[in-house]
Amino acid sequence: MTPGGRQAVIAGVATSDYPSLPNMSEHAVHGQAADRALADAGLTFADVDGFATAGFFPMYAVGVAEYLGLHPTYYDETNAGGASFEVLVEHAKYAVEAGAAEVVLVTYGSVQLSQMGRRLGTGGGGGGGFAPGPAIYDALWGNTLVGNYAMAARRHMHEYGTTPEQLAAIAVSMREYAGHNPQAQYRDPLTVEDVVTSRLVADPLHKLDCCVISDGGGACVVTTAERAADLAKPPVHILGGAHTTTHHMNLSADADLTVTGAVESGRLAFERARLTPADVDVAQIYDSFTITVLLTLEDLGFCKKGEGGDFVADGGLSLGGRLPTNTDGGGLSACHPGMRGMFLIVEAVRQLRGECGPTQVPGASIAVAHGTGGMLSASATLLLGKEAS
Amino acid sequence: MSAVGDRFFPDAMPSPAANAETAGWWEACAEHRLVVQRCIACGTTRHPPGPVCPSCRSLDWRWQELPGTGTVYTFTVVRQAFLPALADTVPYVVAAVEPDGAGGQRMVSNIVDIDPEDVEVRMAVEVVWEDMSPELALPRFRPRALGNGEGR
Repeated sequence: MTPGGRQAVIAGVATSDYPSLPNMSEHAVHGQAADRALADAGLTFADVDGFATAGFFPMYAVGVAEYLGLHPTYYDETNAGGASFEVLVEHAKYAVEAGAAEVVLVTYGSVQLSQMGRRLGTGGGGGGGFAPGPAIYDALWGNTLVGNYAMAARRHMHEYGTTPEQLAAIAVSMREYAGHNPQAQYRDPLTVEDVVTSRLVADPLHKLDCCVISDGGGACVVTTAERAADLAKPPVHILGGAHTTTHHMNLSADADLTVTGAVESGRLAFERARLTPADVDVAQIYDSFTITVLLTLEDLGFCKKGEGGDFVADGGLSLGGRLPTNTDGGGLSACHPGMRGMFLIVEAVRQLRGECGPTQVPGASIAVAHGTGGMLSASATLLLGKEAS
Repeated sequence: MSAVGDRFFPDAMPSPAANAETAGWWEACAEHRLVVQRCIACGTTRHPPGPVCPSCRSLDWRWQELPGTGTVYTFTVVRQAFLPALADTVPYVVAAVEPDGAGGQRMVSNIVDIDPEDVEVRMAVEVVWEDMSPELALPRFRPRALGNGEGR
């Protein structure tokens, strides 16, 4: 925020329908989420002068803006995979505070499940005929996207004694929340035993250590605190954000597989927000795989390196636990259309507004949303607050 | 062993599109020499091959020959084939191997000639070469002390 100047807030959020949308196009998912987020804010498309989104095609934002009938004078399509939307909202904050835009609409839409089927989800980095640039140095030896995360998990287990049961506890907590989310893809209760006896996909990660594959999307509206003052919903303040990268497609280039870019993005985001991990009431942490959550919690400073297993065990991430996390059921149970980062922001805002019903964290006033993209390649942290500081 | 015929991986696997920066690594492989790129200015090793030292940004580098031994830094057992070509090869082991003499730089490869259940972190391994074609050989690794280094 600029002291005494314009302060960026999130004035509206929405998710689209999910998790299966066989009759919708990807663009229609953007549109539905955009309609709902603007309505949530009490705004219309006519109010929007900035637009941001990320997808897998060049000039993606230009194309989606056209579909939505927008002619924005600020646009952004920074793609950091699953971390994209934390980056886009951080950028939108800077744009709004600098006066480059008044109302930035940020949208996400995907029909990965209906259009591409389940092959893509945990494949990648080894799926097709395809391996751009350094990815060939993984693909030729049959490595997969989940294989990278599995190798990080294996090394963490080796160095710190982390167990499959501790990782499973993450999936169990997410499923508890999903049981309260009528839209969630999987809602039946889950036990640690269920997770560790589910089929191994890439040791030591089981099927239930992996996110679901879904259709869906979401949107949020970033504007100034001044503009939001007379809008429909109480604004949520964007207190700080930061992002970084470690490597791209080949894990050989990553110095330490047990440490992610969240160390740096978290440090900077907390510093910029003038907060510490102890201030956070509720977390929305990218959960492509259970290990993603464990590494991120350690790297953001919620516990020491190597102590993530104890932190997440025994309902540590459940309601009433050490740090309620992924209160919509997360990508592990509720919805993961490929780049889930937008869902983290939407759920964080709903928690800070007190809208989460049975999964509401009482009195939540500070939330963290942290996205992870690629093969633990890109990290982006956002700190959101009920109050301005 | 989950090899296809006498191959660990089948012929339908993709081929590397080598370019000026990377051809030397593949050429060394074709001659069954394991090499790593080393920065002449600061000594930092890197892999995959690239034009610039990520540590000091120097453009000066050389190929350093490695003895072909190493240790397993971490690994996974891939049990679900995402490449159709590997449907009959699963389960197989993908590992990040730390070759001796490579300054801690790792390479992604496979651990072969061992039951996947018996692979361990820090296991001592040595390179074995699989000739995919006259121009392409892939380094894989097997437990050390199982043989005398003859290619499979």
